[in-house]
Amino acid sequence: MKSQKMTLLSLIIVSYFLFLSTQPDLPRFWPPALITSGGQNAEVQMVAILAKRINLEHQLNKMATAQDLTNFKSILLVLGASLKGLGAAGLDTNKEMDRVKGLIEAAQQKNIPILCLHLGGEERRGAQSDEFIKAFLPAARMAIVVKAGNKDGLFSKICQEKGILLIEIEKITDALEPLKRAFNI
Amino acid sequence: MTKTRDSSRGLYWFAFFILMNILFSCQSAKLALSPPPADPHQPYEYFGQKAMVVAAHPLAVEAGLKILKAKGNAVDAAVATAAALNVAEPFASGIGGGGFMIIYLAEQKKITVINFREKAPARFHSRIFTEKGDEASIWRTIKGTAVGVPGALAGWDLALQRYGTKKLAEVLQPAIEIAEHGFSVSKTFSDINKEEYDKILTNAGEKTVYLKDGLPYEPGDFFQNPELAKTFRLIAQKGIKIFYQGEIASQIVKAVQEKDGLMTLEDLANYRATEVEPLKGQYRKREIYTIPPPGSGLHLLQLLNVASFWPLSQWGRTSARYLHHLTEAMRLVFADRETYLGDPDFFPVPSDKLLAFESARFKASLIKPDQVLKEYYFENFNQETNVGNTTHLCVLDEKGNAVALTQSINHFFGSGIVPEGTGFLLNNHMDDFASGDTGPNAPGPGRRPASSMAPLFLFEEGKLKLILGSPGGLRIFPTLAEIIINIIDFGLSLDEAIEAPRFFSYSQNGHIRPLYIEPRFSDEIINQLESFGHKIIQREPYDRYFGGAQGIMIEKRRGLILGGADSRRDGFGQGY
Repeated sequence: MKSQKMTLLSLIIVSYFLFLSTQPDLPRFWPPALITSGGQNAEVQMVAILAKRINLEHQLNKMATAQDLTNFKSILLVLGASLKGLGAAGLDTNKEMDRVKGLIEAAQQKNIPILCLHLGGEERRGAQSDEFIKAFLPAARMAIVVKAGNKDGLFSKICQEKGILLIEIEKITDALEPLKRAFNI
Repeated sequence: MTKTRDSSRGLYWFAFFILMNILFSCQSAKLALSPPPADPHQPYEYFGQKAMVVAAHPLAVEAGLKILKAKGNAVDAAVATAAALNVAEPFASGIGGGGFMIIYLAEQKKITVINFREKAPARFHSRIFTEKGDEASIWRTIKGTAVGVPGALAGWDLALQRYGTKKLAEVLQPAIEIAEHGFSVSKTFSDINKEEYDKILTNAGEKTVYLKDGLPYEPGDFFQNPELAKTFRLIAQKGIKIFYQGEIASQIVKAVQEKDGLMTLEDLANYRATEVEPLKGQYRKREIYTIPPPGSGLHLLQLLNVASFWPLSQWGRTSARYLHHLTEAMRLVFADRETYLGDPDFFPVPSDKLLAFESARFKASLIKPDQVLKEYYFENFNQETNVGNTTHLCVLDEKGNAVALTQSINHFFGSGIVPEGTGFLLNNHMDDFASGDTGPNAPGPGRRPASSMAPLFLFEEGKLKLILGSPGGLRIFPTLAEIIINIIDFGLSLDEAIEAPRFFSYSQNGHIRPLYIEPRFSDEIINQLESFGHKIIQREPYDRYFGGAQGIMIEKRRGLILGGADSRRDGFGQGY
């Protein structure tokens, strides 16, 4: 009876380590995280809710610039352009590109890692969104992307070329797990 | 011998008769039971022989049919369907909004209109938005000032009292059941929920029923609205007074005022839906009845009047010539709309003059065959004129009574404001007032803003042939004109006409605006249109920007009732 229990316990331990070994090694990110968008999309708010749900210390700043990077140790950059969002923020594509470019340059100087997310699926693709994706995804260490937004393989191609870890998820809430693991929560 | 031959011949004919009957029943059964195609954009007509309901959600259609089968008439079923849409398609319409319905009573041969458009609160004034400067768009759409006094419930109740056979409590029952039992969220619901996420989160908060644990609903998620079920149950028990003068009124005012709105309890208590005469027009010998101002039936008829000057069937549905001419006509009609359309209780609208033969001929003569106009002027009648997503449903009952009802909370998810504990969204229809502070559609106390809605009936040889309407903001009346032209000039079936590629343009302050199209026209046509001077903006192949039309066609000769439901939303129909 005792040996049976031992066997079962050993099996559980071995399975756990096997499970861990199948999980990709994630780049590390540290709190507090600055959450901002590349394109003033609505998904940036959703990422703030996800961060809240996993108790990740964070601050949402839709208009963050290089000057705001004082106390942050990571950036969660939510990609995708929204005409409505840009209009509400009083920005055009060029101004928004400049803002994010400045932020990323400052992050790179300070060695602050960037995690890109694209949660809007197919609806958040198109010429304008792709401009932001192509410009800023290469700066990321890791990307979490709703699969429907990567049907044409744009994210896969950039991530493969630049050696960025790409995690595809089915739906928005599936981002919780990889976020937890990336921040070691 | 002759007798035997006669009897066998009789037997032969009897067998033939039976066989034909079986074949005919099989054919009918096949028509009735064949499911909609897997590709929702493939034209498909719903089939019935006695009655039909068509609406933007299957559960709403089921609600209407339930009432029809319980001996309710078209008005009873229309209200049941409208209430069910509040639950099943809550982002497009509901008791926090308003609309119009046009009713046909077959026995009396009477056509009437119920106007339940929202009204501006009494404390509104003409500069309410202009004084906000650059922030005007926020105050027009997501602040409390965006919310008009809701009219839906008053309109439904008035229609039931005058022309229904059932009590409000009974027709609300299916909606209550849907809200309590819940349903699976469609891709349309999920996409719109994601698009409007920011507004919902800001105004309704993380814990609202319109978000799932603070995030948008995904397709397949389960949606229930117990708070709305409770609200409907309360209305069913106590009548609409609870909404306009009771505890729900207090919750509405509290929610609006918390967001800097001006609505008071008096505004709600003073709200009345009204019954008005329909507007009548003609297109190629068919009579069309639609809603008068502040709806846009007037402009639908204007557009068709201009189109009647052209041999469209010769030009062809996918010809650049047709697209160019109708687009230019839209821009000229929009110039009139911008100048004259407002609340007729405050400013007279020159409907007769705008619908005159001379007016249409003049517009048709202005349009150049291969070039856009430099400016789009409104017509000047020397009259003193000092002075804006939605849903549609159609019902036909066994007695031939019919209802076309368009209702809305304006933008998807309206203002995003949900009065606490009620489960319904408040409209942002005050955004339909003009951007300036003068003119017939300037904001003002108690005024109803101009609306794009235009539900209609089309009669052929004196008999009701088509019940039609659509959501889609400014695109509504051009969309309806295109569907009518598709049927009459191009000979398409109802659903072919609804699914056919759409196009839309307008003018603003006399200036040309782009031509928006669904990219299902050939490159050759697009190049030709660009050479005429149109700036083309291609949208999605089946884009809900152009509305979600629903229609019922009555084929008297074939003894059939056909339903057409738009695949740009979750349109559905069912008959029996």
